[in-house]
Amino acid sequence: MTLPTSERLHLNLAGIQMRNPVMTASGTFGYGSEYADFVDLNKLGAVVVKGITSVPWPGNPMQRIAETPSGMLNAIGLQNVGVDGFIEQKLPYLCDYDVPVIANVCGKQEAEYIEVVDKLSATNGIAGIELNVSCPNLNCGGMSFGVDPQLTFQLVARVRKATSLPILVKLSPNVTDITEIAVAAADAGADALSMINTLLGMGIDIKTRRSLLANVTGGLSGPAIKPVALRMVWQVYNTVEIPIVGMGGIMNGNDALEFIIAGASAVAVGTANFINPGVSMEIIQGIDAYLADQQIRSISDLVGSLET
Amino acid sequence: MKKHNLKTTILSNRQVAEDHYLLYCDCPEVAISAQPGQFIHVLFDQGSGLLLRRPFTIYSVEGTQISMLYQVVGEGTSILSRMCAGDSLQVLGPLGNSFTIDESLDLAVVLGGGAGIASLMLLISALQKRKIRTDVLVGAMNQARLLSIADLQKIGIQPQIATDNGSTGHHGFVTELLLTTLAQQKAQLPTVFTCGPYGMLKAVTEICQQFNMPCQVAMENRMGCALGVCLGCVCKVRLEGGGQDQSGDLLFEYQRVCTEGPVFLGQQIIWD
Ligand SMILES: Cc1cc2nc3c(=O)[nH]c(=O)nc-3n(C[C@H](O)[C@H](O)[C@H](O)COP(=O)(O)OP(=O)(O)OC[C@H]3O[C@@H](n4cnc5c(N)ncnc54)[C@H](O)[C@@H]3O)c2cc1C
Ligand SMILES: Cc1cc2nc3c(=O)[nH]c(=O)nc-3n(C[C@H](O)[C@H](O)[C@H](O)COP(=O)(O)O)c2cc1C
Ligand code: FES
Repeated sequence: MTLPTSERLHLNLAGIQMRNPVMTASGTFGYGSEYADFVDLNKLGAVVVKGITSVPWPGNPMQRIAETPSGMLNAIGLQNVGVDGFIEQKLPYLCDYDVPVIANVCGKQEAEYIEVVDKLSATNGIAGIELNVSCPNLNCGGMSFGVDPQLTFQLVARVRKATSLPILVKLSPNVTDITEIAVAAADAGADALSMINTLLGMGIDIKTRRSLLANVTGGLSGPAIKPVALRMVWQVYNTVEIPIVGMGGIMNGNDALEFIIAGASAVAVGTANFINPGVSMEIIQGIDAYLADQQIRSISDLVGSLET
Repeated sequence: MKKHNLKTTILSNRQVAEDHYLLYCDCPEVAISAQPGQFIHVLFDQGSGLLLRRPFTIYSVEGTQISMLYQVVGEGTSILSRMCAGDSLQVLGPLGNSFTIDESLDLAVVLGGGAGIASLMLLISALQKRKIRTDVLVGAMNQARLLSIADLQKIGIQPQIATDNGSTGHHGFVTELLLTTLAQQKAQLPTVFTCGPYGMLKAVTEICQQFNMPCQVAMENRMGCALGVCLGCVCKVRLEGGGQDQSGDLLFEYQRVCTEGPVFLGQQIIWD
């Protein structure tokens, strides 16, 4: 497959040079190597890795995933190798490629976020930090930050002091007014916003009267959440100045284009990677073909171009 | 080993027992490298309304063709059972590790419960080719659901059979046949290979532990990506070197059935 390297796809996202606007969503693309048989990492806009914490987290008990209409629920519990494991075992592989690596960071408290960000900032090969303030799965985790404007502001402000790397704040959709949180993050010095994380949900097996997930509730992702995600991107685009990375149920090039028209400068592909491991390459092609067809000179001309 | 994502067409898909079907498709890239115990992750026709793929073990390899033997348990397998020759299918594979046949192995017991026998057929063929003495024990709910007997006989295996209702073979669990078989083999202990319902795998592991026999189990957890990234398919595996935490629980880590598995040593797994 020949992929476009055309200039019209190039962008600068909060200081990160990207050859196209298609990135991978955290937790759905591992650390890149897992997809090497299907994706040329050098052709991606950026790779966002699985959430990283200060120490390895074991994760939640089984069942961790379930399928729902046009979506899936997950309660993985952020099982990950920890920041030291990431830097030693996972990052070197990605550094062999010419692709920006964005590290998704999570913690149970402010100090943990800072510890991870400090270590990542002192390492070569990281292009940006994505702060997961929205992980809905942990009893005392990101939830408490991402649902409160004040807590979000404090956390982002502290991380801002700790690093000169671009900061993307990943917003939770599980709030009454997402623009409030977006404004707090932008005011505290975020360079961009990633949105949305999974929507809190659940499913029940009526035979056993048990939840489909051991954790009872989990995060909903996939096509089922796309309309909600699009609406939120559009609202936030109209409220803050900083760029948006749009995600939530993107399955093909047309879905990605919807997000860009709604106001996203770039997009991330999540659950779709599980269904079609090469989908990110197809999405890049789809966007490029649309720009060619519509005679649009640069992807940035399309951002937020919704006719109202 | 390279993994492939292929579009293929169904060559045949026919019922072989109550609620069980055998499907053939042409997959040269998978056929050439498939190892016993490895699986494919299958995406049905896009119009099916399902989102995720479904995992199935490679049942046989014949030239460029592979087959899968599956039980209808829910929506996905029900849709699959209605698909016909000529319908298209996306196949991701081959995936996962495989059963290990030690150089020194000369006695094997292979034990399949229900559709579990599907995961053991390539292994049984490999054991036959290596001329390793192999006892095959097959368990099913009843005679109508008994699988693979003719296929086993074709390669020279006379399996022992157990059914839950006694409609054919031993009346009872296939694990009871295992105990009888072991009692007859006092002199030499076999390696046990098994796949089937969770409770059966747990029981087989316990028996093997009692007799101090190695036991390889193929796990069938629900999967998302099958490529090692979603961490949805894990099972609890004892840490190498063992040990306990302060509250006396065994130290463990969650390992991915799609990547570190599907074959694990039964003794390594912490069964709930
Ligand atoms: C590595 C691997 C190899 C497998 N090989 C085979 C095979 O060769 N033949 C075969 O018949 N089946 C096999 N399975 C199981 C098969 O994948 C499931 O039965 C199938 O995915 C169910 O899909 P469904 O849409 O019909 O069921 P769903 O509608 O998704 O679920 C229906 C019911 O089946 C249960 N179920 C769903 N997935 C699984 C699962 N993975 N294991 C056990 N129960 C499940 C659910 O809990 C639910 O009660 C394998 C599974 C794995 C992980
Ligand atoms: C299995 C799984 C694991 C995820 N892990 C993380 C994570 O570690 N950190 C994070 O910020 N988001 C995580 N997400 C959320 C995704 O990055 C993304 O925001 C969400 O799934 C919506 O996009 P999608 O519908 O395209 O999947 C995860 C999602 C899934 C399905
Ligand atoms: S199914 Fe995704 S990690 Fe195994």
